[in-house]
Amino acid sequence: MTTSTTPTRRLHLPSLSTIGPLIALLLACIFFTTQSDRFLTSQTLSLVLKQISFVAVIAIGQTLVILTGGIDLACGAIMALGSMVMTKFAVELGVSPLLAILCGIIVTTAIGALNGLLITRLRLPPFIATLGMFGIVSATTQIYSGAQTVSNLPDTLGFLGQTFNVFGTAFTYGAVLMLVLFGVAWFYLTQTAPGRHIYAVGNNPEATRLSGIPTTRLLVSVYAVAGLLYGVAGYILIGRVGAGDPNAGQTENLESITAVVLGGTSLFGGRGNVLGSLLGALIVGVFRVGLTLAGVNSVYQILITGVLIILAVATDQFSRRKA
Amino acid sequence: MTTLLEKKTDIQPVMEARALFKRYGQVTAIDGADFELLPGEILAVIGDNGAGKSSLIKALAGAVVPDAGEIFLGGRPVSFRSPIDARREGIETVYQDLAVAPAMTIAENLFLGRELLRPGFLGKLLRIVDKKKMNEEATAHMQGLQFAIKSMSQAVETLSGGQRQGVAVARSAAFARHVVIMDEPTAALGVREGNMVLDLIRKVRDSGLPVILISHNMPHVFEIADRIHVHRMGKRAAVLNPKKISMADTVSVMTGALKASELSPEVLA
Repeated sequence: MTTSTTPTRRLHLPSLSTIGPLIALLLACIFFTTQSDRFLTSQTLSLVLKQISFVAVIAIGQTLVILTGGIDLACGAIMALGSMVMTKFAVELGVSPLLAILCGIIVTTAIGALNGLLITRLRLPPFIATLGMFGIVSATTQIYSGAQTVSNLPDTLGFLGQTFNVFGTAFTYGAVLMLVLFGVAWFYLTQTAPGRHIYAVGNNPEATRLSGIPTTRLLVSVYAVAGLLYGVAGYILIGRVGAGDPNAGQTENLESITAVVLGGTSLFGGRGNVLGSLLGALIVGVFRVGLTLAGVNSVYQILITGVLIILAVATDQFSRRKA
Repeated sequence: MTTLLEKKTDIQPVMEARALFKRYGQVTAIDGADFELLPGEILAVIGDNGAGKSSLIKALAGAVVPDAGEIFLGGRPVSFRSPIDARREGIETVYQDLAVAPAMTIAENLFLGRELLRPGFLGKLLRIVDKKKMNEEATAHMQGLQFAIKSMSQAVETLSGGQRQGVAVARSAAFARHVVIMDEPTAALGVREGNMVLDLIRKVRDSGLPVILISHNMPHVFEIADRIHVHRMGKRAAVLNPKKISMADTVSVMTGALKASELSPEVLA
């Protein structure tokens, strides 16, 4: 127990977990620029954004959940079910595409809310509740689709995969939507009372409850909003794949957690920045594209991602021990 | 019975409890306890481990719902189903385990759950917090308590343990309208830090808010309490005047070695 009455840290320098991901991203970009002439181009930027767009949107939801001190292992599966509902409703039931998209998002939001209820009402650990939901939702997707891909989609469903030109480079609408959602999430988390309550509940759930904040309702809505975002990611995914894919969402659970952790958000909850998760997703995306351009086996991307995850969490642990 | 154990006053108590009971299965945690808090005082509540003082305090703070008995606030009967109810009635509680959100700023902690919002339609609709105003008001409030901290926008985790507890105390003082309850506020602190928090508690009392202080630390109790409520076997054993009674006799009352009826009337408060 310290008896010092002066603050232990006087300067307000951005912590290592805040600038760390930015440095890692810059170093990666510099490295790949030296490896390939084709790396530092707007086409590469467009490709990276397109590739990461749906995982990055999932990572926004995952960030909200992790900030509360939870984790969501069902996110990829929920996204896949959402995209399956959208495509099957539109193609097989003949529902208008916009209504089909809405139905898909309602389903994913409801599953997210169910996650929240399992965690708050049944007091299940988030890890267990969402692991169980991962199995349930994955199987439901397979059963519902008969493990069949849904193709021949109307244009509206693939809209987020379409592109527009900026100075001769084609960007997808999905990538733009992803960036906008990050902006909205950043504003919500840093500038609004409910956003600050998400941090508070991750910091000290009991103190937050005793200060009069309805923490149960807060947690259920966080998981529900995360579900909504997985639905949006499902819509982006349809544009990316051009079909309803029942086998989607297998790797996105861990990829989204990777993006959040690389972005400097603490797995213990209560500290982090959603824009960091964008950087985290960009780091993974830059390595994937960069190594391909440099003609290196893509297995190295997995290896490097593993190293970066350990570095990121070690940094978090180190800064917590100091505080 | 009450007349025997305490001197009756004409002053209307700020908070009062009559014949509270709480049982958990075979265990009787509160066994007909009475309680009185007078205006502008620091009332220490002491008792041996298992005496039930914690249950009594929880009942007053709304964290425990008593099976029977009445609680009055300014003479008006109240019943709390949760700590939130008690807080709405103007009773703030500082819990011993440093009830702050460490990664958030001092101002955010002070205003947690009661954030000041930006004026205007958009501010209310989106519930946008007015960080500047919160920092300004936090600074003014802390200065009022002579609690020296440079910046309200620094994270609470950059503070020492005593300063963190100080933030929790300042928070309760800022929002309590009737009563501040402090559960072992100095238990986790070193000597200097503990004294700093004691100073702060005095300033809260001097600002007009009565304080209920639960503490195991006898020197602290004798240093700042105006009256001492001794709890024993689920009920009030005596209310003592710390200026008239010795620490040793107080401990004897607490352990049951000395009966309240054996005390000279002048040490009762």
